[in-house]
Amino acid sequence: MGLSRITSVEELHRHLYAALQLEHATIPAYLTALYSIHPGTNTEAVHILRAVAVEEMLHLTLAANILNAVGGTPDLTRPDFVPVFPTFLPDGETDFEVGLQRFSKEALATFLKIERPGHAPEGAPRTVRRPKKPGKSVLHASHTGKDAEEHFYSIGEFYDEISRSLATLHEDLSHQGRTLFVGDPARQITPEFYYSGGGELIAVTDLASAQAAIRLISEQGEGKGKAIFDYEGELSHYYRFEQLLLGRYYQTGDKAGHPTGAPIAVDWKSVYPIKANARLSDYAEGSELREAAFEFNRSYRDLLEMLTRAFTGEPRLLTAAVGDMFRIKELFLRLMRNPMDGTGTLHAAPPFEIASVTEVRK
Amino acid sequence: MSGDRAEFEKFLGLSEVLTGFTKFRLQGTGQGALYFSTLTDVVGQGTAGELLQAWSGVAAAAGQDEGKLERLMRSEILSHEKLGPIARNLIKLWFVGTWYQLPAAWREVFGTPERDRSFVPAASSYVEGLLWPTIGANPTGAKGPGYGTWADPPNIPKV
Amino acid sequence: MSHLSSRISRTDHASASTQIYDAVIVGSGVAGSILANELGRQGFSVLVLEAGPGNDLSIAEYEASVERFYLSASKDNNSPYAVNRNAPMPRGQETVKLQPGRPNADGYIVQNGPLELDSTYTRVVGGTTRHWEGKALRLIPEDFEMRTRHGQGLDWPLKYETLKSYYAKAEAEIGVSADVEDQGYLGISFEPGYVYPMRKIPISYLDQVIGKNLDGAKVELDGETFSLVVRSTPQARNGVPHPGYDNGKGYVAPSAVSTHQDEMGQRCQGNNNCVPICPVQAKYDARRTLVKALETGRVHLLSQTVVSRVHIDSGNGRVTHIEYKAYKDLHGKEHSAGTVKARVFILAANAVENARLMLASGLPGSSGLVGRNLMDHAYLLTWALMPEIVGTMRGSQCTSGIEELRGGAFRRKQAAFRAGIHNDGWGWATGAPYTDLLALVDDQNKFGRALQRGLVDRISRQLLLDFMVEVLPDPANRITVDPDHRDQLGNMRPVLSYRLNDYTLDGVAFARQLSRRIYQRLGAEDHTTYSPQEPGWVDYQGGGFVIRGGNHWAGTHLMGSSPKNSVVDANQRSWDYPNLYLAGSGSMPSIGTANTTLTLAALCLISAGHIAKELRSAPTAAAAR
Ligand SMILES: Cc1cc2nc3c(=O)[nH]c(=O)nc-3n(C[C@H](O)[C@H](O)[C@H](O)COP(=O)(O)OP(=O)(O)OC[C@H]3O[C@@H](n4cnc5c(N)ncnc54)[C@H](O)[C@@H]3O)c2cc1C
Ligand code: SF4
Repeated sequence: MGLSRITSVEELHRHLYAALQLEHATIPAYLTALYSIHPGTNTEAVHILRAVAVEEMLHLTLAANILNAVGGTPDLTRPDFVPVFPTFLPDGETDFEVGLQRFSKEALATFLKIERPGHAPEGAPRTVRRPKKPGKSVLHASHTGKDAEEHFYSIGEFYDEISRSLATLHEDLSHQGRTLFVGDPARQITPEFYYSGGGELIAVTDLASAQAAIRLISEQGEGKGKAIFDYEGELSHYYRFEQLLLGRYYQTGDKAGHPTGAPIAVDWKSVYPIKANARLSDYAEGSELREAAFEFNRSYRDLLEMLTRAFTGEPRLLTAAVGDMFRIKELFLRLMRNPMDGTGTLHAAPPFEIASVTEVRK
Repeated sequence: MSGDRAEFEKFLGLSEVLTGFTKFRLQGTGQGALYFSTLTDVVGQGTAGELLQAWSGVAAAAGQDEGKLERLMRSEILSHEKLGPIARNLIKLWFVGTWYQLPAAWREVFGTPERDRSFVPAASSYVEGLLWPTIGANPTGAKGPGYGTWADPPNIPKV
Repeated sequence: MSHLSSRISRTDHASASTQIYDAVIVGSGVAGSILANELGRQGFSVLVLEAGPGNDLSIAEYEASVERFYLSASKDNNSPYAVNRNAPMPRGQETVKLQPGRPNADGYIVQNGPLELDSTYTRVVGGTTRHWEGKALRLIPEDFEMRTRHGQGLDWPLKYETLKSYYAKAEAEIGVSADVEDQGYLGISFEPGYVYPMRKIPISYLDQVIGKNLDGAKVELDGETFSLVVRSTPQARNGVPHPGYDNGKGYVAPSAVSTHQDEMGQRCQGNNNCVPICPVQAKYDARRTLVKALETGRVHLLSQTVVSRVHIDSGNGRVTHIEYKAYKDLHGKEHSAGTVKARVFILAANAVENARLMLASGLPGSSGLVGRNLMDHAYLLTWALMPEIVGTMRGSQCTSGIEELRGGAFRRKQAAFRAGIHNDGWGWATGAPYTDLLALVDDQNKFGRALQRGLVDRISRQLLLDFMVEVLPDPANRITVDPDHRDQLGNMRPVLSYRLNDYTLDGVAFARQLSRRIYQRLGAEDHTTYSPQEPGWVDYQGGGFVIRGGNHWAGTHLMGSSPKNSVVDANQRSWDYPNLYLAGSGSMPSIGTANTTLTLAALCLISAGHIAKELRSAPTAAAAR
């Protein structure tokens, strides 16, 4: 069984958990690129990356709301929740990996693949099966067997399937006089606890609100069909990133690939030369860098714990979690500004090895 | 290690003692190179070199002896008529990101370097001032710590 | 180019001069923006003339202001805004000690004294709310009836009850965070079922520590006993929207201006910098309302356009047109002059500039009251070190205050006041934390970790109480103009004469006494000192205080019940010139102990309704020609 057709509530839970993983997995990648930019430079890129990262947080929260609504439990502390980078995501016509790298054309190319709009061609299978690559971390939820995984053509296809199954499972259960939406409403994160310019949080209590939440997630990401602006007049992530490569803002009326708005200047050199996919083991035992990298991992683990508590009945903690994020940003920046050696050609970066923390704690 | 690089390392070493922050934290502000060039730009290569040489002497003589380091810092640098005010300026630069014009008494004796006026070298110098993390706060107008965090007791790093 | 360009309709000086607008508004501050938005939404054509720069309202422009603040070595409250020689603005550091009989003409405002006043305002698009702090208190009912109830000052031609629903509308417009349960004191009442748009901003840890030790303290005054409490302050910054707002419809927190695909205008993050600029636009500024106005498509904005004269038809007493000077850049004096016409003219340039413009146009009013009765709150600062670390320098500048002495029978003898508890330490009084760093390094010879400990000890215990003391209207306190003092464009600069009377000073003295008792109760070390060498020094019974300006300019075109005792009526319409309105805090006959903006916003909402009615019933634009 893989991430393909959903036929039971358990499978729905598993897919929604995968959605949480997916929405989260992009955040370290986007943040690494964002924070690698020298302060005071690349203003447009900074705004675009930050806005997208904040929306991914919103999506993560929406996914948690849906999972809670259908009686699941969002647990961001499971050992496999944070992938080991570079990692695959469960959408791939051709394989691509998401790594933690500095702001660059290559990084943006990956981001475009992540947010790629599109649906499988008519008649083609909506899922792609591929061999498992040894040693590569993959989202657990997409395992289909010992050596195969199943992936959706795009994130859009993935959410379409969730959306479809929400409807059918809801209908099936209704016929039996039961309901799909058995979750405790008190677990919902409401706009009271979280809001941003990037869209309102939707509390999920029934099919309509669940579908609205799905729609918000998928349209903010990759847009709807060929439209580059979503139903709220917002530019989808794909086209926001594309602007940086094309050097121009989109404006209303533009066609995909042909922005005609104000020019955007990108200075690819004003970026810290950070080590891609850094590991704790890249830093000498006992060094200050090692300590700081470990401290980073620990703080990130604490954040995930805090979010998990916020998503499982203590919504008020979301405020504290936001405070944590601001602190984590500081740790992020400190590492990236430190050279790894005397020459200054390579800088440190946070490893995001959450497992390392758990191990030490035991 | 090139000559400049070695001088920069000395600059960081002196800054560590002046501020009480480790090199990692100092570099973590992203301001190290800018402050080093600010120093040399304002007071000149020669004077900056004198300061760093005095520091090398202090560091070598003190070794691991912290008490001795503190005494030598005071006797050789902080109470030095020419170097003292510059060292104090470096402290201020690291803590609030402002180079303050050197005291009038200094300028009377040692000259009035053209760039010696009060200024902030870069917008990020202000934002990265070390005073703020020292008191468990954010620089006013930057790095907002998040909604409602001010209702909790302060989280001030132990020194 | 900004992302607004697609939605708003633009004009230029040439085409604006060929049109007859329904209304021309001078100034794009909160007063002007509210009027423009209300009239634009009701279908009227509006032209806003703004002296300051900032036409494109873009994120880049906003960030340039934030950066200018970061880069400024002084960080005064106008530091984010570029020096502009064509529409100058007062800056705090221009206020220096006056020599008796010698005015100080070095700053933008010419200060005659005898008392120096360091209040400021901002001349950029959005006006002074760009750097206001965002406290949004209502006046209390007795403030509207000072003469009747206390035999002091003046009565308003309006009562609190009339203003009540407009206060609620103003709170929605500027987005106020507060809890109704905290705010119903001294007769303040709300419409049934009312809740503020957003819940109160959490009070700081410092406030909590003070509350724990101070709540319930008793104060005797004029035979009345007051019991003090630390109370959260209503603030115009984004908090948590109240789900019960508007009978359960909820409130959508206003988002930022000029975001261009970025996230801004979220909840307050505690940048502690509302004055002079909020880096994330969590705080209200008038550009939010202005953008809504522009988006109606019926409102035009011309910035860098300084109105220099109001012209009256001596036959029918109506304003015929307004004359302006539009300049090219902030430095050179290159400019072009022009005129604009409208059916109704509204001056919303703030209390100082409205009066300046009227007087420069030779229009002192039949009552002679234009420019007179200038009021501003008199601030007494007191500062101390708490016995424990309280984490000063976190949160917005103030989250709580002490309000009990805002009203009471004592007001027949002495001024009322409120106290604000400052989260930003001694900054306002001493220049902390910079001055603390300098003292530790230069005088106390600290370095390294000892310096770090010293900083915590000296800064993280700081407490500053600001006592905001009531000032009554006094015709001698006034703005005038003088042909000898002009700016680069030749416009006459405001000349200020200012003094404080015993009514206010008795209140100040009482506040100082109360602060001592508060510090005694808290076990805090009182570090307050005042020097006769400082500007703002006032002698009082052998001692004295330093009084700081409140930035709450008011009274210069006050409203009243007749043309004899006032400049405008309750709708802010000029008694003398029926198609002229003077809008803003200049209309207020008393300022009590509430910062003026919420009240002036409510007044402008009243005026908007009235003007719309007038425009509908009056002859059309063509007829007015
Ligand atoms: C540091 C500070 C803190 C403050 N804090 C608070 C607070 O916490 N709470 C509170 O209620 N109030 C506060 N205030 C006061 C508040 O900012 C003002 O009451 C409010 O902004 C006034 O709005 P306004 O629209 O009447 O005038 P302004 O905002 O001053 O707007 C007037 C506009 O008119 C323009 N203008 C001026 N002259 C001309 C001309 N000749 N031609 C064309 N345009 C012209 C100006 O450029 C300006 O944009 C504070 C003020 C300051 C300075
Ligand atoms: S405290 Fe900070 S984030 Fe909040 S409104 Fe003020 S400046 Fe903005």
